[in-house]
Amino acid sequence: MRPIPLWLKSGRVQTGLVIIAILAICALFAPWLAPNDPNEQDLLAILAPPAWADGGDALYPLGTDSLGRCVLSRLIFSARVALTVAFSASVGAMIIGAFFAHVAGYFGGWVDWLISRIVEIWLSFPPVILSLILMVGLGTGLRNVVLAIILVDWTRFCRVLRSEVIVLRRRDYVSAAQLVGFSHWRTITREILPGTMPLLITLMSLEMGVAIIVEAILSFVGMSVGSETPAWGQMIADARQNIYEAPFNMIAPILAIFFAVFGFNILGDGLRRTLDTRLTQTERT
Amino acid sequence: MRMFATIAKLLVMRVLTAIPILFVVSMLLFGILRILPVDPAAMSLPPNATTQEVEAMRSEMGLNRPIYEQFGIWLGKLLEGDIGRSIHFRQDVTSLIGSTLPATIELALLAMMVGTVLGIAGGLFLFYVRGTRAEAVMDFVSILLLSLPEFLWSLFLLLIFGVFFEVLPFTGRLSPGFERPVVTGFLLFDSLITGNIATLLNAMQHMILPSLALGIALSPALMRVLRSSLLDAYQDDYIHQARLRGLSEKRLLVRHGLKNAILPTLSLMGVQFGFLFGGTLLVEIIYSYPGMGNLMVDAIRNADLPIIQGAGLTYCVAVLVISIVVDSLYLILNPKLRVR
Repeated sequence: MRPIPLWLKSGRVQTGLVIIAILAICALFAPWLAPNDPNEQDLLAILAPPAWADGGDALYPLGTDSLGRCVLSRLIFSARVALTVAFSASVGAMIIGAFFAHVAGYFGGWVDWLISRIVEIWLSFPPVILSLILMVGLGTGLRNVVLAIILVDWTRFCRVLRSEVIVLRRRDYVSAAQLVGFSHWRTITREILPGTMPLLITLMSLEMGVAIIVEAILSFVGMSVGSETPAWGQMIADARQNIYEAPFNMIAPILAIFFAVFGFNILGDGLRRTLDTRLTQTERT
Repeated sequence: MRMFATIAKLLVMRVLTAIPILFVVSMLLFGILRILPVDPAAMSLPPNATTQEVEAMRSEMGLNRPIYEQFGIWLGKLLEGDIGRSIHFRQDVTSLIGSTLPATIELALLAMMVGTVLGIAGGLFLFYVRGTRAEAVMDFVSILLLSLPEFLWSLFLLLIFGVFFEVLPFTGRLSPGFERPVVTGFLLFDSLITGNIATLLNAMQHMILPSLALGIALSPALMRVLRSSLLDAYQDDYIHQARLRGLSEKRLLVRHGLKNAILPTLSLMGVQFGFLFGGTLLVEIIYSYPGMGNLMVDAIRNADLPIIQGAGLTYCVAVLVISIVVDSLYLILNPKLRVR
């Protein structure tokens, strides 16, 4: 039997994975887990309180929103948008960011100068503002939300990974590979990429949390998926309109976002501690 | 004297590099919003306008010229301070931004103060409990706090202090019935110089929750950097020697530790303050605070291109100004420049 890898023994990694697994189960099995159709409007039960409160209905365990839709069902179905965005946006941002980081760090010179200037320009745009403007240009919809987040957040990967590549490029084994006659492509993928991989995985895990927040922000201002797809940000926007009548409607999606982001962050932190070869043993535990 | 010359030279360089950045940013803003499937000419006319009228408007607005020429015209006007007229509000964009920007600046400045105080206090506390069991707990708490962006903090604070305890207002800038003095457009400043204390206090009450939300979201990053730079500083020999000279721990921290740890913290602040300025947009929407963020989101909902371009550009200018200001503070405080 193969021994359990070190990173899987970390309590932080385990906590993060459990949280993500719960979310993934919600997203995959939403139609079976949700008590109601998330878009079905029960206009006779608008803004119903949770089942345990006075006037609550067992049919709607967490109450209903301003259109009489089941809050719990919407909460469960929203995990689909959140996780789809989290995974696809972070993979996309990682690929673009890592590509430019490796090219810039490996070749240096004017290539590095150009890529660094582009990153600098991107950073002068506050991320929220840039993603909103991109959504205006691209139009709403799930695919465009993912695209907008990729176009905003690739710089996060590029900036951090570039300096890592610059450190690795000066290592002897990289010079050795070049002397043996490895092509640039092969040197980058076989010699440098394995060295940047731990950082890359960590950054990706953190980026998933960021993507969930950005999607929530965009759907909060109505610039994400259409209104027929439930999303946590939309639920918050609806609850903000009726904050005195139904404060609980706001708590549920906030906690869901927090739970998801915390899961990805603690996973990222755990991976950083266990995968980073430069940390000492004491710092890891 | 030579120190000033060096700092001035570096600052001029810094401002000069901001110009090409702004040029590319304005090009991007123009480009992104030109791919929109909406016709600005048709939008600025009544819905029953004929095709000829729309065509006439298109040529009047210069929409039938090549795109680079359009950009040239737009940029030329921009440099004269003319960003165009809002399609929805039928007002100059410059005056719309001018009337909302002061509110955003006041919020951002207050939030920066709150965030800095919390960040430094938290960093000192984290440093103080180093190596104890409390550190592990605090470390965990700071990851928890890092998971909460200003978006969630605003909602949390609004629910707790606005809805459940009803101790603070959470909508707009002033409660109804308060006089609004207008001198410079900065409400806090204006009510202070006109001696309108009631308005000042009411406006401050409205700003507590939004600025707290932004400040709390900013602080964990500062805390962590301050702690690790303090740890680095305490590794150095001079701390050891100062301790041997019999300096008290408090004096050691202020005179030697903090003095050396503040520079890395400051260089992080430039980036963080820039993020904070962008974060005001959301906080403004959540608290219905009448600043540039609300203007921008209104414009986005109405596809009001001139405002989106103008406000987007203003946000970028603000971020660049913030980073230049923080950088110059860094240069002034950096003792390495004094030696030269």
